[in-house]
Amino acid sequence: MNAQGFTLASLPISRVPGVAIVLVVLCVFFGLTSPGFTTPANIANILSQSTILLLLALPMTVIIMTEGLDLSIGAVLTFASIMLAVTVLATGSVTLAFLAALAVGLCFGLGNGVLIAAFDIPPFITTLGTLGIAQGLSLLVTDGQSVVGIPPSIEHIYSGTVAGIPWPIVIAALAYLVTYVLLHHTRFGTYVFALGGNREALRVASISVRGMLVRVYAFGGVMAGFAALLMTARLNSAHPTAGIGMEFDAIAAVAVGGTSFERGNGWLLGTLLGVIALGVLRDGLNLLAVPSSTQVACIGALVIIALFIDGLRSQR
Amino acid sequence: MADVPLFELRGISKEFPGVKALDDVSFEIRAGEVHMLVGENGAGKSTLMKILCGAYRADRGSFFSNGEPVAIEDASATRKFGIAVIFQDFTLVPFLNIAQNIFLGREFASRVPGLIDRRRIYAEAKRVLDGIGFDIDPHEPVHRLGVAQQQMVEIAKALSQDARILVMDEPTAALSDRETELLFAMIARLKAKGVAIIYISHRLSEVFALGDRITVLRDGRKIASLLPKETTPDQLVTLMVGRPVDTTYTRPQRPTPGAVVLDVKNLSGPSGFSDINLTVRAGEIVGLSGLVGSGRSEVARAIFGADRVTAGEIRLFGEPIGESIEASTRGGMALIPENRKTQGLALSRSVGDNIVLAGLRKMFPTGIFVPRRALKAARAVIDKLRIATPTPRRPVATLSGGNQQKVVIGKWLNAEARFFIFDEPTRGIDVGAKSEIFRLLDGLVHNGAAVLMISSEQIEIVHICDRAYVMRSGRIAGELAHHELTEANIVRLGIHQ
Repeated sequence: MNAQGFTLASLPISRVPGVAIVLVVLCVFFGLTSPGFTTPANIANILSQSTILLLLALPMTVIIMTEGLDLSIGAVLTFASIMLAVTVLATGSVTLAFLAALAVGLCFGLGNGVLIAAFDIPPFITTLGTLGIAQGLSLLVTDGQSVVGIPPSIEHIYSGTVAGIPWPIVIAALAYLVTYVLLHHTRFGTYVFALGGNREALRVASISVRGMLVRVYAFGGVMAGFAALLMTARLNSAHPTAGIGMEFDAIAAVAVGGTSFERGNGWLLGTLLGVIALGVLRDGLNLLAVPSSTQVACIGALVIIALFIDGLRSQR
Repeated sequence: MADVPLFELRGISKEFPGVKALDDVSFEIRAGEVHMLVGENGAGKSTLMKILCGAYRADRGSFFSNGEPVAIEDASATRKFGIAVIFQDFTLVPFLNIAQNIFLGREFASRVPGLIDRRRIYAEAKRVLDGIGFDIDPHEPVHRLGVAQQQMVEIAKALSQDARILVMDEPTAALSDRETELLFAMIARLKAKGVAIIYISHRLSEVFALGDRITVLRDGRKIASLLPKETTPDQLVTLMVGRPVDTTYTRPQRPTPGAVVLDVKNLSGPSGFSDINLTVRAGEIVGLSGLVGSGRSEVARAIFGADRVTAGEIRLFGEPIGESIEASTRGGMALIPENRKTQGLALSRSVGDNIVLAGLRKMFPTGIFVPRRALKAARAVIDKLRIATPTPRRPVATLSGGNQQKVVIGKWLNAEARFFIFDEPTRGIDVGAKSEIFRLLDGLVHNGAAVLMISSEQIEIVHICDRAYVMRSGRIAGELAHHELTEANIVRLGIHQ
């Protein structure tokens, strides 16, 4: 992706960022300790499994750049996945089912945006509320049960390949490209930097801060809808608890990637590396047979270590 | 054409509750001219500029653009007339680059629908920057620029929107000498292009070096409009001062000053002050004067222990303290901050709660709060300071400014403070309540306390203080004994000659 060269050159990083160090250290560590880690199949597995998280972490980067937060993104992903499965079972149409997932994402994204922008409810509170709503609706629709029996054409989206490349990687690469272009080559992206950096600048330029906020959160919702497609395909079913904690991973990936929570300083490539670092960590710990509860603690520690490295460097 | 001003304000008046900020002020600006606007703090310069850029609406007065009568209703109207205010950093986005900042909100569309033409933005930005002789790569992100460069980006941004009148409010305040030279060179180039500049300054050297015309404001009135060659720095100072004396309060006889309470030696700090030496004795009110931004409040915060210091020593009653609010308050120091609503009071709590706040540790050493005792202490303070509230349970937010200020003072009285720093004690307090605050200050020193008072109102310092220090650019420019304490002397020490 030659666009990345530009990102590096235009960013205030004439130094190796903490996330790169963390990623290299993790790869070396797991490469030495678990024999299966460096096999091509395992690496492909890490990348494929990281795609769902990337789809959430990309909009999360944009949202955090505006000094906002979206805690609902994992629960919205879950509910979109449920609605996708329910729709395809009811109508038999994969297209309709996919549109249903996107519609769920868009509605929740717009809802978040309108509440935050028009009613000045802090993003933390708003999205905590919509997290509860989306989670509750998922349980309500499914009665707490998994939705199974969806057609194999959906499962194919996760396991199939195009020109030898797995579909999830293709979708994730497209999502990265779209987010990159949005951020750096459109008015929307330019104003995202201003939302976090200096809202006064937007007001002086007669640009609606509220309108921008609504769009930012709507973007997050739609991406959660796309992620729901991958998630449902991967599990070949929909689970009302499948996305629990995904917002934690997404925020962790953004933080590990070096996007600051103030002044509108975001780094998309950092988020990509952060997502991969999280994927490597989970995969490596799985190979070492570390229980998943301990894995969550390790991710928490990873966030702190990455930010600590960045903090050390900026103090100098 | 030459005798029609680019823009003209006629008979502008503006009143705020209790203050006449501007009274029948007329002002004009011509192409290619640098018009200096000078006056003391509170003379009305900023209000006038806020009216010019549409942030405030004038109560009375009219505007003329190229001789045609026009109306200024909001900020967008002024842009139409080519007026732009150069803010220090208010409208720049740190993690966008120079070009993106210049054209923020006016991005050129690319041939690909929905995308912006970045190459054209850079090319146009380069053209604008070249036009004002600012040699810098427009790809440079703004957060990496110094203050002076950011200012030039603001200027470029304004000019790219066809601004013909630039308003600069103390543009050199945060600049080094070298950067100031660059700015002056830029101003010369802008003049040559026919841009008009309204320049607010407290530095007399700048006023004479740059100004084509000088307008002096005092107490919201235009005192004079003259050419630099017609006047001298001394004459300007005389024009700027001479505000009427508040006759509602006369200073009583003070006791002879006692022992040294506060002794500050060679204090320097990262917030922009250095080598500060001052003393305050018991029974004394000492003024700390100087222009806004001269470092007065920073020194006060450092003495109180709220900010870091890099060198020097602070002694309170002979004991060294510093860099710790806890040590200061335990030693009997109190800071009555400039902004009592955000820094001095817990606005949503009651009068009583606020009064006992700072003295909690002394009143309840065991850590267990006894409401009855707190209420009793609060009542005592309310009676002593005559705070107008029916009950200590009333929310402090419902009180008037003067009474809120008394609550802040009462808080520290209850904490048994013996040394008080007042930062702008009369800010936002109406005229009648001012003399009562002064009486309170007098009462404090009569009981042996010591007071350091910061004020932008030179006349207050003259009126209330026994002596005063005057700050300039983060240093003590001089000390004035009681017989030297005049407004003109304060202004002379406080401004750059």
